[in-house]
Amino acid sequence: MTDSAQALVSDSYKYGFVTDIDEDRAPPGLNEDVIRFISAKKGEPEWLLEWRLGAFGRWQKMSEPKWANVHFPPIDYQAASYYSAPKQKAAPKSIDDVDPELLRTYEKLGIPLHERKALAGVAVDAVFDSVSVATTFKDKLGELGIIFCSFGEAVREHGDLVQQYLGSVVPQGDNFYAALNSAVFSDGSFVYVPPGVRCPMELSTYFRINAAKTGQFERTLVIADKGAYVSYLEGCTAPQRDENQLHAAVVELVALDDAQIKYSTVQNWYPGDAEGRGGIYNFVTKRGACRGARSKISWTQVETGSAITWKYPGCLLEGDDSVGEFYSVAVTNNRQQADTGTKMIHLGRNTRSTIISKGISAGKGQNTYRGLVRVQPKAVNSRNYTQCDSLLIGQKCGAHTVPYIEVRNPSSRVEHEATTSKISEEQMFYCRSRGLSQEDALSLIVNGFCKEVLKELPMEFAVEAQKLLSVSLEGSVG
Amino acid sequence: MAVKTEAAPYLDVFRPNAGEPAWLRDARAKARDAFVARGFPSRRDEAWRFTNLRPLADKPFEPGHGKLELKPGSLPKGAWFASMARTLIEKPEIARRAIGESDLAGGQPFASLNAAMFADGFVLALDEGVTLDPPVEIVHSAGDGSINLRNLIVLAPSSRATIVERYCGEGAYWTNTVTTVSVGAGASLTHVKVQDEGPEAIHFGMVRAALEPAATYRNFGLTLGANLSRQDVQVAHGIGSIVDLAGAYLQRGDQDTTNAVVVDHAAPGATTRELFKGVLDKRSHGAFLGTIRVREGAQKTDAKQTSRALLLSDRASVDTKPELEILADDVKCAHGAAVGDLDKDTLFYLRARGIGIDEARRMLIEAFVLEAFETVEQPELRGHLAARVRVWLEAA
Repeated sequence: MTDSAQALVSDSYKYGFVTDIDEDRAPPGLNEDVIRFISAKKGEPEWLLEWRLGAFGRWQKMSEPKWANVHFPPIDYQAASYYSAPKQKAAPKSIDDVDPELLRTYEKLGIPLHERKALAGVAVDAVFDSVSVATTFKDKLGELGIIFCSFGEAVREHGDLVQQYLGSVVPQGDNFYAALNSAVFSDGSFVYVPPGVRCPMELSTYFRINAAKTGQFERTLVIADKGAYVSYLEGCTAPQRDENQLHAAVVELVALDDAQIKYSTVQNWYPGDAEGRGGIYNFVTKRGACRGARSKISWTQVETGSAITWKYPGCLLEGDDSVGEFYSVAVTNNRQQADTGTKMIHLGRNTRSTIISKGISAGKGQNTYRGLVRVQPKAVNSRNYTQCDSLLIGQKCGAHTVPYIEVRNPSSRVEHEATTSKISEEQMFYCRSRGLSQEDALSLIVNGFCKEVLKELPMEFAVEAQKLLSVSLEGSVG
Repeated sequence: MAVKTEAAPYLDVFRPNAGEPAWLRDARAKARDAFVARGFPSRRDEAWRFTNLRPLADKPFEPGHGKLELKPGSLPKGAWFASMARTLIEKPEIARRAIGESDLAGGQPFASLNAAMFADGFVLALDEGVTLDPPVEIVHSAGDGSINLRNLIVLAPSSRATIVERYCGEGAYWTNTVTTVSVGAGASLTHVKVQDEGPEAIHFGMVRAALEPAATYRNFGLTLGANLSRQDVQVAHGIGSIVDLAGAYLQRGDQDTTNAVVVDHAAPGATTRELFKGVLDKRSHGAFLGTIRVREGAQKTDAKQTSRALLLSDRASVDTKPELEILADDVKCAHGAAVGDLDKDTLFYLRARGIGIDEARRMLIEAFVLEAFETVEQPELRGHLAARVRVWLEAA
C-alpha cells in the first residue's frame, strides 16, 4: 500500500463526534415496565401500549436469526437502554426553539436546518436519537394534504391512520429484530400522501445515533393512497464509538391503487475501525406492500457503513400489475460484514420485479447477497429479472451470492444472473496510463460498476453516494 | 445415547456382520451412532429445505433386496470391476476407501445410515495409465424394503474410464446409494447415472468426488423415476482440475426431485461447468441447490453454473438456489438461473409449419433438455440417453 493510501485509510471517521446534551433515558434493561415507561414518556394511547406489549411477548419467545453470513459476539439485550430523548423545555415551535447544540450537530453533518428551504426543495425531518426535534415544510405539504411528521406526532394527531397501517406490512412477530423494534420503537417518520397527490418534493429524514449505549429503534411508515406519488430519502451518519451499537429499525410502505413510492437510502453508519472494533449493528426490516393494482415500490440503497448489515428490503406484490424494484450497492471494507438483499413476493397477476445488486468487497470485508423471488400460484404472467454482480478488491475479502427462486406458476418467467470479478490490471493500467492516480482510477471503475444503481438515486443523493463509495474504498488498492 | 424417533426402526434392524473385518464393524457402529443421534434432516436444514421427506418418514423400511448386475465388457489388465461384497474379501485395502470420515462424524445422515447398513455396491479401480473402453455398466433393480449400496470408483493417475449406473425397480422401496470417487492426477472419469426407479420408489444418491491435479471429472445424471428422489454431488477440486456437472430431470404426476451440488475450489486454477435442466409437469416439484465455493488462495478459478427449468402445468413448481461463496479475488464466477414455460412464439413458428401442438411441444422440450447431455462425450451413449427421454415425452 502506498503511503498516501495508508494515510487515507487511517483517516478517522469524518462524522465521528459526540454531541453533549442532557438526556432523558430509561434505565438499562428490557421488561414490561420499560415498555410502559417508553409509552408513557411519549404519551401514547392505550392501544399502542397494548400493541407494544404484544410485540414484547412475541419477542421473548423468539431467538436471534442465525442463518445470515455474519458473525458477532452475543448481544446482551438487557444491558442496553431503550429510550433516550434530548431534554427540552417544550416542543419546538420553530427552528429558533431548537437546542443550538443540536443545530450545530446538523451543521457538521451538512444539513444546516436554517438553510433547509434553500436545500433544493428537500424537507428534512431530523431525528436526533429518539425524538424528532424539528419538521419543516409542513405548511407547504399541509396545503396538499400530505402528512409528514414524526411518528410520535402521527400517533397523537393521526391515530386512526397509524392504527390502520402499523404492523400491516411487517407484523409484530415478523422476525426477532422487528419484534424488538415493535416493542420499544422510539420514534421515526410518518408519511401519508392523499389520493391523487404527487408529493412535490423529496421527503428526507436524517437519522443520527447519539447517546452511547442507546440502541436506536426507528419506526417509519409511508402510505401512498390511490394514485399518489412520493419519493422518500433516508440518510444516516453516526458518531464514532468504541462499543457496538444496535440499530433495529422497521420501515413499512403501503402503496394503494396506482400509487408509487420511491424509497432511497444512503447508509453510512460508523463501520468500526480497521480492526473491526466498534461500529453499528444494522439489523433492519424494510418491506413495502404494493397493495393496490398498478402500484409501484422502488427501493434504492447505498450501504457503505455499519460493522454488520442485516437488511432485506422487500416488496409484496399483491395488486395486479404491480411493480417492485430493488437497486442496491453494498460496500464492505476492513472487517465489515454485510448480508443484504431483497424479497420479491409475487401474489397478483402480471406483477413485475427487477433486482439489481452490486456488492463490493475490499480489505477483509464479507459481502453476501441474499435474495428471494417467489411466484405464487395466482401470479399469472409475472416476471422477474435479477442481476447480482460482485467486485472483489484484495485477497482477504469475500463475496457471496445466495439467491432463492421459488416458482409456483408456469406462465411466469424468472431470470437470475450473477457474476463475480475483480478490478482487472488492464482496467487499472488503462486509467493509470492516462494520468489518473490509483485512488481516482479505483473510484472511477467502482462508480462505473455501480452506475446502474446510482442512476436510480435522486440527484443530490447520487452525488453524495459517489463520494461515499470513493471514501469507503480508500486505501483498498495499492 | 439419544435416538431420534424416525431413526429408531433402523437401529433395530442393525446387525453387524460377524464375518466382516474389524475396521468395518467399527466404522458401521460409529456411523450408526451418528445417524441415530442426528435422525432425518428437516426442512429447517438449509440443504433440505426444498425436499419433503414425509414419504420416507411415514413408514420405516425393512431391509430389502435388490439385484446388482455388473456389465464389465472386456476388462483390460490393471482394471478391477467387481461387487463391493467381493472387493471386501479379495481387496479390502481398496474397499476401505469407500468409507469416509464424514460418514462416521455425522455428515449427511443418509450417508451415515448407508455406511452402517450397506450390504453391497460396486467397485471400479484402475491402475495408472489404464484406459477402459468401452464404458462399463452397472444395473440395479430393486423390489422391496431399503437397499443401501456403497460404491467406489478409484482412478489412478492418467487412467480413463466411463461408467454408467442405471437404477430401476418395481414396488415401494428405498434405494440409498453412496459413491466415493477419486480421480488421480491427469486421469479422466465420465460418470453417468440414469435414475429410472419405479413410480412408488424413493431414491437417494450421493456422490463424493475428490480430484487430484489436472484430473477431469464429468458427471451426468438423468432423473426420470421414483416418487421422491435426491441427488447429492459433492466435488473437491485439485490444482487445475476440470469438473463438468450436468443433470436433466423430467418429472410428472406428484414426483419430487432435488439436485444438490457442491463444488469446492480449494486449489487454484480449476474449472467448473454446471448445467441443470428441469422439466416439470402435472403436480411435480423440482429443486436445484448449487453451491460453488472458492476458498482463499484458489486463484484463477473459473466457474460457471446454470440452472433452467420449464414448468408445464399450473400445479408444477420449482425451487432454485444457485449459491456462490467466494473468498479469492482473481476468479471468474458466474451463475444463471431461469424458470419459465415454453416460448409461445417458437411454438407458433412450429405450428405454422404444420407441426401439431403435441409434437411441437415435445420437440421444444427435447431440445431444451438435450443441451445438458453434452457432458457425455460418447455419441452412442448420448444417443441412447436421448432415446430414453423421447420415451418419457411420448408417455405423456
